[in-house]
Amino acid sequence: MEHIFQSLSQFWEYTGFANCSWQNIVMIGIGIVFITLAIVKEWEPMLLVPIGFGMIIGNIPMFPGLNIGIYEDGSVLNILYQGVRQGWYPPLIFLGIGAMTDFSALISQPRLILIGAAAQMGIFGAYLLALLFGFAPNEAGAIGIIGGADGPTAIFLSSKLAPDLMGAIAVSAYSYMALVPVIQRPIMLLLTTKKERLIKMPTPRAVSQREKIIFPIIGFLTTAFIVPSGLPLLGMLFFGNLLKESGVTRRLANTASGPMIDVVTTLIGLTVGASTQADKFLSAKSILIFGLGLLSFVIATTCGVLFVKIMNLFIKNPAKKINPLIGNAGVSAVPDSARVSEVVGREFDTKNHLLMHAMGPNVAGVIGSAVAAGILLAFLG
Amino acid sequence: MRKRILLILALAVSFTSLKAQNVIDLIIAEALAVPDSTGIVDDFGRRGGWIEIFNTSQGTVNFAGCFLTDDRNNLKKSIIPKGDLRTKLGPRQTTLIYASGNGADGTLYADFEIRPGSTVYLVSNDGRTIIDSLVVPASLPAGMSMSKRAFDLRQSEFEPLPDPTVPSPGIYNGDLNAATKAEAMAEKDPHGGILSLVAVTVVFSALAILWFLFWLFFDRPAKKAAQAKEKPKNSAAKAQVKAGEVSDEIAAVIALAMDMEQGGDVYAAIAMAMDLYFSDTVHDTESFILTMRPKDGSAWNDKKQIFRKLPR
Repeated sequence: MEHIFQSLSQFWEYTGFANCSWQNIVMIGIGIVFITLAIVKEWEPMLLVPIGFGMIIGNIPMFPGLNIGIYEDGSVLNILYQGVRQGWYPPLIFLGIGAMTDFSALISQPRLILIGAAAQMGIFGAYLLALLFGFAPNEAGAIGIIGGADGPTAIFLSSKLAPDLMGAIAVSAYSYMALVPVIQRPIMLLLTTKKERLIKMPTPRAVSQREKIIFPIIGFLTTAFIVPSGLPLLGMLFFGNLLKESGVTRRLANTASGPMIDVVTTLIGLTVGASTQADKFLSAKSILIFGLGLLSFVIATTCGVLFVKIMNLFIKNPAKKINPLIGNAGVSAVPDSARVSEVVGREFDTKNHLLMHAMGPNVAGVIGSAVAAGILLAFLG
Repeated sequence: MRKRILLILALAVSFTSLKAQNVIDLIIAEALAVPDSTGIVDDFGRRGGWIEIFNTSQGTVNFAGCFLTDDRNNLKKSIIPKGDLRTKLGPRQTTLIYASGNGADGTLYADFEIRPGSTVYLVSNDGRTIIDSLVVPASLPAGMSMSKRAFDLRQSEFEPLPDPTVPSPGIYNGDLNAATKAEAMAEKDPHGGILSLVAVTVVFSALAILWFLFWLFFDRPAKKAAQAKEKPKNSAAKAQVKAGEVSDEIAAVIALAMDMEQGGDVYAAIAMAMDLYFSDTVHDTESFILTMRPKDGSAWNDKKQIFRKLPR
């Protein structure tokens, strides 16, 4: 009988109840909130569901030493987590993004590329602020990249510059990407006049298939020669796009933009979520990172919109003016931020469709954030 | 002519084999000719000369089959045997080869002793290409070594030191405690202003170059060509566009939005077909047009070849 009680007592020590702390409960609660937001509000469900559930997995209290935790060498979760830790997943996701992105909107209006560059100011604004708050330069760089509004890029850079902060950075980046409509709309309205919001942009010209094929090659050569440290992201992005546009590798493009990106997105979301173990995640630093991440989004959106307004000052022909409501789309977050431009634009003129125009700076933002990540890696890595 | 081609091919193959092995990333980082009483001993308890090999690359290099020599006319004097895992040198790692004069002592032993006034060569596995060398001056005192040290920021280019140094066998000849890039940046640019300015300039430059190239070679010529070829649309199509109900742009937006939402080409095709129907125009060069072409690929990827009957 005593032996039975001893066994039960021993078993109790292995259970989650015996090892639970309030931090675990908080993190599990956050995970459930993420899942709820994804299902009820449909905010980035593809990301928030895996991340949210990953948070729950990572915060199940357990007896250490069973070789099952994400930070225990050789465990299944640890092996899957290496894709994040070593930065394998983000380039694979970029391959898929490249294979599903149509750069026509950008090629037909090359001037919109510059908006994608302006919106990257959010990265460097957050970098400066993070330094001000006492973060080391490498940590500040990793935090700043949240402003690029690009989850894979944020994970890639933080895995190289500040692996300890990666969980907070990744969750912050994805959370704010999901909240793009909430964050960007008031800033767009604040910075634009009614007259500006009604600007109708000229119909983009038709883009030939040859241009679409040449774009990834020239785009890659130009950016990679300037910032070779961005090679994994830029190479995969443009390679994926070439697969799509070449017309002769449709099956490869379909796989990259379909099953492959789905698999990698699932794994990256789940493992990033699971990496947010309470003892490593719940800290003042994480809260600060969330605050700086929000500011970086605000700065990026502001700079994008203001840059369009500045561009308009130099455009004499009224028919060629750019609607500043597409400035927000420079912050990557494809295609959500472009969708915000469309929705806000139609609030003021139901026939003014900005989506196609906004896709230009939107995809330029993807290139811009990868370039910015490469620069930060070169200087701080 | 044929000989020349063969020679070029042979050189190319030789170079490729070197690259493939990455043995060119190896250097002779240090060498000691005459030990003193404090020198390290080999596996047999003997004190003697040694050669330190360093892998400068970020990948593992296997130097089995390479040669060591102190004779320029006999580059194959001492071979590193194959089949020993110790010949695999990890990234930025060193290994010692004892110059005992008897290679039969083991894998990491050379068939010669280092004499002051000689030069030690590391030769590729082709037996011809000298990968690196280190001069051991005649004046080298006992117990002192000649070494190379990294002077560049990335610690990848090693230069021989002019004077003898205190031996450091098996230890990296560089500053292991050198400041990391982030630490150096914290010192040089504590507020981050310089980095931000440089980075923003680079991002703008990269994308501005891209913009300029596409504007110069594609956008401008395309617009000029379009202006030259512009023809009035037929009245029916004009009326449709004027009414503001359907335009190319709206249709394209619908197609794009549907494509992004559903991820389906079908929706895009429907939207495009509607646009063509309403505008009564056909755009052969329209960006978002979908053209159906019969497949004339090889049989291996033919759907008919892939499909099989369902088991009953």
